[in-house]
Amino acid sequence: MNNPYEVLGVSENATDEEIKAAYRKLAKKYHPDNYTDSPLADVAEQKMKEINEAYDTINQMRQKGKGTGSTANNSSYGSDTNSSSQFYSVRIYIQRNMIDQAEQLLDSTPMGSRTAEWYYLKGMCAYRRGWSEQAFSNFTTACNMDPNNSEYRAAMNNMQSQRTYNYGGYNQPNMQNQTGCTCCDVCTAMICADCLCDCCNAGC
Amino acid sequence: MFGYLQIQKSELLVREFDAYKAVYCGLCKQIGKEYSFLTRFGLSYDCTFYAMLIMSVKRSCTGFSDGRCTCNPLKKCKFADCSSDSYSKASAFWIISAYYKLKDDLKDDGFFKRFLLRMVIPFFSHWHKKAARKFPKIDRYASEMMEMQADAENDSDCSVDKAAHPTAYLLANIFSLEAQNDTDKRVFYEFGYHIGRWVYLIDAADDIQKDMENNNFNPFLKSGDKPDVNYITAVLNQSLARAYEAYNLIDIKDFKGILDNMILLGFPSVQNKVTEKIYGGNNE
Repeated sequence: MNNPYEVLGVSENATDEEIKAAYRKLAKKYHPDNYTDSPLADVAEQKMKEINEAYDTINQMRQKGKGTGSTANNSSYGSDTNSSSQFYSVRIYIQRNMIDQAEQLLDSTPMGSRTAEWYYLKGMCAYRRGWSEQAFSNFTTACNMDPNNSEYRAAMNNMQSQRTYNYGGYNQPNMQNQTGCTCCDVCTAMICADCLCDCCNAGC
Repeated sequence: MFGYLQIQKSELLVREFDAYKAVYCGLCKQIGKEYSFLTRFGLSYDCTFYAMLIMSVKRSCTGFSDGRCTCNPLKKCKFADCSSDSYSKASAFWIISAYYKLKDDLKDDGFFKRFLLRMVIPFFSHWHKKAARKFPKIDRYASEMMEMQADAENDSDCSVDKAAHPTAYLLANIFSLEAQNDTDKRVFYEFGYHIGRWVYLIDAADDIQKDMENNNFNPFLKSGDKPDVNYITAVLNQSLARAYEAYNLIDIKDFKGILDNMILLGFPSVQNKVTEKIYGGNNE
């Protein structure tokens, strides 16, 4: 196994607090929630396992008893496959990242028996390939056909959050730029504040 | 490749900005050395991003050396030294993609521009041969991409996914050349796929006004109405979000601050500029 300190990206002299902070940061980064439906979910899970092990090892080495705070998350996503499902083998293929085979099976389903699940799985195949738009429209169809299904709803929500997420808090174009706090505003505010400070100092 | 993969300069540390410039200058020097001094002028941010990424994961940047700018002897600048073929690879990638882009432009531009293109293409085809000999895989992926692209644009019912697929496929394959093992390869593939997808789509979004006037192919112009800014923003956001997911799983060694800056701030701000332009165009 690799040096647990290296895995967490901290030095061997780091304090317990620093280690905890580094662990938390990484755990947040690799958290399975960030990789729902992603073709890389297993890679993230592996990384999560590595940091969990590293954190536990460090804690044990520092004789703190059992690793506390370790969030060994075993609820591996996708393993809740429902074996009674009509498309059981399709789900297995998707889980194993064998998208061509999964799609082949789906496409051979006659038009009449294309249920909400069919659209959901079709969307999942597209998602795995990176064809997000196709995935989005299939998930939408699945949700419309079966609005109460939490699995379809979750996939849809995941997509929605990716689509609305614009990093860094920059304004979206439709919001009028003038309403936001621009860099200039911040600058002006700082200059004003600085002036006020100076005044005080001069006065004191 | 069109120069959308930029940094957000105001948020970089000074030393990071210097390092970024040094990689840019190093790459410029290498292109001049391997091809011709003329090819230097076409160097884009996209190539610098690619060079930076592969130098980072390979740990091939060994330090910085002082020198003079190769275009302007009066200007002093720093060059990032590189111990492996990262610069060569990035230059070859630039030459190869420029060559195919020019060949593609030959098909649809006006008479005068075609004439100019015919003058420069022989030079490019010479450089392209040289680059393709060095990195045959890059050339193979690029030529496959051009075929797929032509195929997609001839399809009257072409979806956004299908239109973006060729560029995404190209970058996915080229990024995954850096992978050490199968898991790495999947991560790089996914990262390259969504960066490529974003680059293609942002270029399409940027060209919307022009394509509307000239009636050219554009994946966002189908219904014939005004382009829907909210939809375009959602599609672009999604590509960046998925690229970021994959990026987090890459073992970034050097230049982390710069690469983070590009993905989290630089690309979104380029995107916001483009979508604001479309929004402005719609309201005229």
